[in-house]
Amino acid sequence: AALRSRAEVDATLQAAKLNPAELLPAVHCLSFDPQAGGGECCLLQLEPGLCAELEAGRSLVIRGEKDEHAVLCSRDKTYDMKIADTSNMLLFVPGCKTPEELKADLASCNIIHSQIAGFSNNYWELRRCRPKLKKLRKLLMEDPYEGPDSRKDQTSTFSKYTTEDLLSLIQASEEEILHQLEVIDACKIEGYWRILDFDYEMKLLNHVTQLIDSESWPLSKVPLCACLEELGSLEPREMIEHILLSYGRKYVDDGEVFFEMREDKICRATAQMLLQNAVKFNLSEFEEVWQQSVPEGMTTRLDQLQGLALVDRSSRPETILLLKVEDLPEDNQERFNSLFGIRKKWTEEDITPYIQDLCAEKQTVGALLTKYARSSMLNGVKVYNSRRPIS
Amino acid sequence: SGGTGALAQWVLVELQGEVEPRQSGDLAGSLLGDLHYTCEGVPVLIVGHHILYGKVVQLEKPFAVLVKRGGAPQPSPTGPHGHYSVTALIKTKLLFKTRPKPIITHVPKKV
Repeated sequence: AALRSRAEVDATLQAAKLNPAELLPAVHCLSFDPQAGGGECCLLQLEPGLCAELEAGRSLVIRGEKDEHAVLCSRDKTYDMKIADTSNMLLFVPGCKTPEELKADLASCNIIHSQIAGFSNNYWELRRCRPKLKKLRKLLMEDPYEGPDSRKDQTSTFSKYTTEDLLSLIQASEEEILHQLEVIDACKIEGYWRILDFDYEMKLLNHVTQLIDSESWPLSKVPLCACLEELGSLEPREMIEHILLSYGRKYVDDGEVFFEMREDKICRATAQMLLQNAVKFNLSEFEEVWQQSVPEGMTTRLDQLQGLALVDRSSRPETILLLKVEDLPEDNQERFNSLFGIRKKWTEEDITPYIQDLCAEKQTVGALLTKYARSSMLNGVKVYNSRRPIS
Repeated sequence: SGGTGALAQWVLVELQGEVEPRQSGDLAGSLLGDLHYTCEGVPVLIVGHHILYGKVVQLEKPFAVLVKRGGAPQPSPTGPHGHYSVTALIKTKLLFKTRPKPIITHVPKKV
């Protein structure tokens, strides 16, 4: 179609009885791009901060496999995506100037032929969400690292994952993924991210704690070099360093690298090692064995086991069992169903370690309990149970 | 992704109801109308036999215009839904909500 001329525009103005003197001289003649409406273009409403990120040249990535709801990831945040419908028609117009821009550039061309690139009556809305990181652990647990002597590694047909692989499979931002890898003590072996098999991890830890004991080093000052020298013949040096990094805090003193061993984490790992051998334990027996099993100088406390073990003070005798929060469902409703299936009534103190990670930005545990549970009083104590009957 | 170079700034035009092509066939390639601004900056859109008055709105939440990139084969393990590029940002919209005023064309008298 031929482009509209000034004469045609003026004729239309006249027919519309509009006074050209009351209008800015420039006119946009809008037409639809031949490709418009092909569904190639869509609109994404940006949350605060995302616009600035894009303008700074950074990327946004949409992640999700066919069976997952798509999420959008910036460098450090994750957002759920949802379609919002509008009853209006939205046209996206490149090169369309605002009145301010026209006034600022009075010499601009009289007729601007603008092609509408696309149109839609919906757009993507974003809502900040928790990164979906449970899958990360699941993938790495497919093939835990059992040490260099393990024959499994050489003949393994399991998938191993590089950083790039994880970025394309996990619905979370890069920073959230890298942070989580640190949290779960994953390490890179031959370019692949691996989680240590728990037994192998304890074997490494025991080497270190026994060495600390035999050398009478203070727990707050364990020298890296000496560890590598003494243990280097038993295990790969990278693994020794990895276990020190996982269970200690690194610092430099007078040019030498030392580790301050993390009492809580070591006690917790020791407890896990003991608890995984049976379904339930007599609490007082467990506490005795546990204290004896940790390195000299460390003190065990039940609060070290939050999110790892559950104490039952209503049974006689009192018992303790292994219950790891990372083994529970990621979805809020499913998590609560699972917890109420394990125990009908929970105090806030007992349930908090098992729902803390569900809290969205600025959401409290109390808010979650109000939403997913019903409260009542039991022997003068406030307890929570399921809102729905458990089959 | 953001891509190299500054992102283009587009404008959103929001119209009430549907836009239908004058002739049969789809919208692609057809004219929509003339967009004017009054000296006070009020947008005026002449579409067919209608005059629409609107207003310029600075968007609190800007939009990104996403374009689906042609599907190159995904490297294994299987990749996400599809690759999108950000082709432009939209920070301004022209909102036309008032009822369109019909243009009554003057029928010339027969001589």
